[in-house]
Amino acid sequence: MFTIESGGEGAVVARGRLDAAQAAAAQTFLDGVQGMVTLDCRGLEYISSAGLGVLLKTQKRLVAAGGKLRLAGVNRHLQDIFVYSGFDQLFEIEPAP
Amino acid sequence: MTAARSFARSFDALPAIVEFTAESFAREGIDPALAPAVDFALEELFTNMVKYSPESVADVRIEVTGIAGGVEVTLTDYDVEPFDVTAAPDADISLPLEARRPGGLGLHLIRRLLDSIDYEYLREVRQSRITFRKTHGESPARQGVAEGGGPDVHD
Repeated sequence: MFTIESGGEGAVVARGRLDAAQAAAAQTFLDGVQGMVTLDCRGLEYISSAGLGVLLKTQKRLVAAGGKLRLAGVNRHLQDIFVYSGFDQLFEIEPAP
Repeated sequence: MTAARSFARSFDALPAIVEFTAESFAREGIDPALAPAVDFALEELFTNMVKYSPESVADVRIEVTGIAGGVEVTLTDYDVEPFDVTAAPDADISLPLEARRPGGLGLHLIRRLLDSIDYEYLREVRQSRITFRKTHGESPARQGVAEGGGPDVHD
């Protein structure tokens, strides 16, 4: 189960499991965001490499246009994935409390 | 005890694989804290099999076995050409954003999340077998990567 929706005020809320089967839906949604965007990951349990590709493509597009994608509420497993991917150098990441 | 099930070679099988893994963990008494890394490795390896061996119509068999302090998982792919996942190069994660390209991270990541990953190809029956282990504690694979070496790889 995966959902992604607007959280208002430049926020996007992702919940569930962003796997290879859900990557296209996530990309379609994120292709529509602009500017400074915070992805609320508090409910995001899991991300695969397909999901990482979605985030990277979105970040490249936003940064090229003067914006950026920020990742907030990131759990421990996702933090490990982001660090091992080098995404901690490409994204501002706020861990879950 | 080993739990085993076969899955159709389609991305649509991913939810059923996650469900099977969770059931197997519960039945075998495996710590669910290990599940995220196991789910990640299973998805990457399974989707690789689906993407890179489209000529096969055979299901992919997954076996989950509880071991001391963790779990061992084997994926068997039938009627395929060899593809040694342990030989794939690491991604260059030091590149700046503008030079990074989506893709190529899956095998790079599972080397860091797992204790070991082994690949075996049985040419006579055109069968690929990948076995990986995940236990508690600092994994040899992660230590090896941190020291600049590779994972615990056996051909």
